[in-house]
Amino acid sequence: MPTLNVAQIEQTLDVTCDTVIRNEQYFSDLDGLAGDGDFGTSLATGFKVIKAELPGMDKSAVGAMLLKLSMLCSKHVGGSSGPIWGTGFMKAAFVSKGLEEVTYDQLTQMVGAAVEGIMARGGAVRGDKTLLDALIPIHEKMQEMDGSDLGAVLAAVTAEADKAIDETRTLVAHRGRASQVGARSANTPDPGIVGVATILYDWCKHYGVDYKPQAAELAR
Amino acid sequence: MKKLVNDPANFVPEFMAGVIAANSDLLEAIPEFQLIKRKNVDASKVAIVQGSGSGHEPAHVMAVGPGMLTAACQGPVFAAPPVDACYETIKSVATDAGVLVLVNNYQGDRMAWDMACEMAEAEGIRLKQFIINDDVAVQDSLYTVGRRGVAGNFFVMKACGALAETGASLDEVYAVAERVNANVRTMGLALTSCIPPAKGTPIFDIGDDEMEVGVGIHGEPGRERTKIKPADEITEILYKAVQSDLPFSSGDRVAMMVNGLGGTPPAELYVIYNKAAKLAAETGLTIARNYVGEYCTAIEMAGCSLTMLKLDSQLEELLAAPAQTACRIF
Repeated sequence: MPTLNVAQIEQTLDVTCDTVIRNEQYFSDLDGLAGDGDFGTSLATGFKVIKAELPGMDKSAVGAMLLKLSMLCSKHVGGSSGPIWGTGFMKAAFVSKGLEEVTYDQLTQMVGAAVEGIMARGGAVRGDKTLLDALIPIHEKMQEMDGSDLGAVLAAVTAEADKAIDETRTLVAHRGRASQVGARSANTPDPGIVGVATILYDWCKHYGVDYKPQAAELAR
Repeated sequence: MKKLVNDPANFVPEFMAGVIAANSDLLEAIPEFQLIKRKNVDASKVAIVQGSGSGHEPAHVMAVGPGMLTAACQGPVFAAPPVDACYETIKSVATDAGVLVLVNNYQGDRMAWDMACEMAEAEGIRLKQFIINDDVAVQDSLYTVGRRGVAGNFFVMKACGALAETGASLDEVYAVAERVNANVRTMGLALTSCIPPAKGTPIFDIGDDEMEVGVGIHGEPGRERTKIKPADEITEILYKAVQSDLPFSSGDRVAMMVNGLGGTPPAELYVIYNKAAKLAAETGLTIARNYVGEYCTAIEMAGCSLTMLKLDSQLEELLAAPAQTACRIF
């Protein structure tokens, strides 16, 4: 069975930084439709710091690297996204504490712990039109699969995030700044969900995994 | 803006360095995390930590010292400290007896400390977290769900700090925090706004003839904006809000604090205290201890807050116990 080591996860994180930085304006524009328009900038500000500090981070274990990432996220990503994303990385770090490489089952547990942590931190549940509407089905899909083909897993979880964009489009947001505009948030995509989907789709491209995006926000 | 600053970006580190320079016998700093801690932490005693935005001095870093906090970290002016600073603050003084983390109820502070506590617990550090919310002015505010933590924080720090010095357990110190917070109430009032150094302009507009009743310590709105009134009438507004909330009733022994918000001279605070003490006597309260001065400020905001704490014999003893912090006026 394939495993992922610290260097492989570092590379994936570096690709993630590039995605977030490249989409700063686009994510902020999406957020401006119903939120306060700062999502892209908040995220990109933090991930620029993460990209710069990634090479010098403690690489003794997956958990050590992710814990540092969590602190940087909480410190440099603005607004509520900082503690939300920071909590996700922190919970994943606890599961991978002291591990130089993680198995597929451990990776699935890391995602599950991140989902639980984010729910506890922000008080959101499935259907509130937050990034959890992408992360929860991703975790479920990972539990269903056996992980013998990581490329197939990546394509499958990208499809879940992609689907979540359109499935939640008509919903009214219940959490975050978008919840304060009520019905105005309906018929706009959630920038957090689009963010997760865009990151995964970029991973597909980076690792040569074939994936055909469905939602307009991915196929642009 | 006229302020005694160099580069506004260095304002917080420079004032903290000054606190250390003036108290090098008692305190040391870890500048990277904007944290100040006591020298010679006793591992057999519960450590007490706090950390919040700057601009409220002498809260919170200037409250570090024997009999008060063990360590504290500062965020930028009016902004929560980052998670890594909170985590390092806990770690820097983690004792065998455990750490009590005192957090004032603001969303930014709570999220940062929640994460820091979870990280510290994952490292095997024994801790408990307690949320302070003594402000009666509003139920929810700009930065809170629920009541804000304001000047009543002083009494929580003082009582917990004194009890920890006796070698009490983490559960016992936590129980005292609960008891103080359950019995302390505060209401504030602003005559002017304040100017965060990095911003350079007032954070809200208020007319020369207006006051903000129930203001928060970051200038966030309170109950109402009204025409300014004579000091005695202002005192009545503050006293009634505080007294009726607990409520404090005849026969109670209390500690009373008239706290300056940074831009009000001591003499004016005594004008307020004079009336507040009379009102307390009318209610039948005995003021066992009084505190008139600056304990929790909002930079140079003119105004004050009134705090009352209902005492029992243990709390009275803990408030009377010696403490030594950076604000030495003797």
